[in-house]
Amino acid sequence: MLKLIYRRLLMMVVMLLGLLAIMFVVANVAPGDPARLAAGPDATRDMVETIRVERGLDKPLPQRFVIYLGSVVTGDLGTSIHTGRAVLHDLAIYFPATLELVLFSIGLAIVLGIPLGVIAAVNHNQLADHIIRIFAVSGVAMPMFWLGLMLQWYLALELNWFPLGGQLDLMSDPPTRITGMLTVDALLTGNFAIFLGAVAHLFLPALSLSFPALASIIRVNRAEMLETLNRDYITNARAQGIGPLRIVAAYALKNALLPTLAMIGLRFGWMLGGTVLVEGVFDWPGVGLYAAKAAISSDFEPIMAVTLVLGASFMLANLLIDLTYAALDPRVRAQV
Amino acid sequence: MSDPILSIRDMRLEFDTFDGVYKAIDGVSLNVAPGEALGLVGETGCGKSVLTRAAFGLVPSPPARITSGEVLFGGRDLLSLREKQLRSIRGAQVAMIFQDPMTYLNPVFKVGTQLVDAIIAQQKGAIARRAARDLALEMLDKVHLPNPQRQFDSYPHELSGGMRQRVLIAMALAAKPKLLIADEPTTALDVTVQAQILDLIAELVSELGLSVIMISHDLGVVAQVCNRVAVMYAGQIVEDAPVADIFDNPKHPYTLGLLKAIPHPLRPVEHLAGIPGSLPNLYTPPTGCRFADRCSHAVPVCTDGKPPLMDLGAGHRVACTLYRKEHVDA
Repeated sequence: MLKLIYRRLLMMVVMLLGLLAIMFVVANVAPGDPARLAAGPDATRDMVETIRVERGLDKPLPQRFVIYLGSVVTGDLGTSIHTGRAVLHDLAIYFPATLELVLFSIGLAIVLGIPLGVIAAVNHNQLADHIIRIFAVSGVAMPMFWLGLMLQWYLALELNWFPLGGQLDLMSDPPTRITGMLTVDALLTGNFAIFLGAVAHLFLPALSLSFPALASIIRVNRAEMLETLNRDYITNARAQGIGPLRIVAAYALKNALLPTLAMIGLRFGWMLGGTVLVEGVFDWPGVGLYAAKAAISSDFEPIMAVTLVLGASFMLANLLIDLTYAALDPRVRAQV
Repeated sequence: MSDPILSIRDMRLEFDTFDGVYKAIDGVSLNVAPGEALGLVGETGCGKSVLTRAAFGLVPSPPARITSGEVLFGGRDLLSLREKQLRSIRGAQVAMIFQDPMTYLNPVFKVGTQLVDAIIAQQKGAIARRAARDLALEMLDKVHLPNPQRQFDSYPHELSGGMRQRVLIAMALAAKPKLLIADEPTTALDVTVQAQILDLIAELVSELGLSVIMISHDLGVVAQVCNRVAVMYAGQIVEDAPVADIFDNPKHPYTLGLLKAIPHPLRPVEHLAGIPGSLPNLYTPPTGCRFADRCSHAVPVCTDGKPPLMDLGAGHRVACTLYRKEHVDA
């Protein structure tokens, strides 16, 4: 098991290197002159050139990539032109908010998706199944930013059930910063009112972000449950007189979860990308919004850093998924 | 003769499919006496597995639909029971072992866990986990599984096919049921292992005094274990007789055909007689004898109506027009 983790972490370094290389090229063929942007609108040609040399932007691309990698390894992710701060500092502020949002969303999708998939499969072709399927198809089809806008308009603006956006009410004091995730910090400091406020703010963006994932988890889990419930070992379990609850919740579900897990890993990646849209809609101060603003101003180093952090999160999540696989399936364990 | 332990009467079962209604079982009646080992033989798709599974509520409905008949077991008609009542009979009173030991054990649970679960279900929770575990180990020992303690903590993929079938037999017989349904228990196994498993089943059956329905398409297997044989063809029983009679004095042309298709171990095999043709289409089954168009003895009356099972004496019954009294006399 340790060997697997070690091997996968090593692979991750290689994959992140590839990811950075691709991003580096894309960022540099994109139009816009970072030196000119950094110099400001009133700068003279000489000033722009000075900045270009200062920042090493005059050197050939491969050399610049090596220099960039060198600084990344030492923990220097560069400086954001548009916030004027070290990118590492910005990430420390914005990434926990994104992590909180994404973890809450994927948690919501898993906690709702797996039982709904099971309920649909057990009631195959009956009313509950039809309703859940319609729900799931609409979830797959609906773009999440549009869903976000609709939820915001109806539940926040019309019904006033939820706040429109942001992380906390303007009036409330944020809890002492420990993890950077407001809900966790509020609980850690025992501030329950702030916790409820933070959850209320979290709910709509998390719902928008999780809906497509929820829908596909339902669909995969339903299909897998249907197939598993027809397997011979289920017939045998029934022939032994084992009750339906144990058959569905243990004998079938544990087998059906394996493909569902793969879908969860995949959807987690989509979610990380989706934060760019959803954080925009709900004014959520995370790395998605940070990256979007950076992209508009051709602010190259923050984009690279956000890619790096989101890429690493995705790879770590999938490592976690693979470990869960091994925990669920002895045959996978035997191969490790 | 004492009352049968299981009595299936005029059972009809259909499947609703996209292609129409598939009439899988057509008016089957079958009795199993206490202590009797009945062989149910017939080719693949003749309905032998579906018949026994449907009798105990193991065929999903839909698509299956039982349109008539009753299944009397322990003084009750199983077809009128709810799933919950059926569940209390399955496992506890009727045990089943199946064809492919590779697929009938759950791959992600330990063998021991599955055994203990089954035992607790069979005893309806009236047994402590600890005691169930002891019984499971005792059963593993009883089916001659080497090193039971170790296999108990193994996963199914770590065992061979023969070992898994032993585990399934241990699971099935843990509750000391009254009736064992063995659905081609040796078909998926190597020949040497087949003989061992058959011996084991025979041993346990006599030790526990079980009644048995042994489903097989192998008459040799049936001869080894059973004392009576029912031959099924296309969803009907065509002949039903003591095992010696089936081999020495087969009556139905289909049974005759099956016997001719067995190679003789001492004579060189030059030509094995097969039965020409194939199973009739059961979406639109023939109204007469279902075997008529493959039968070399067929006469025009054969297609007129379904021949009933006729008693020829000495417990030998056959459904064939050729044995109608008027024919025999003529």
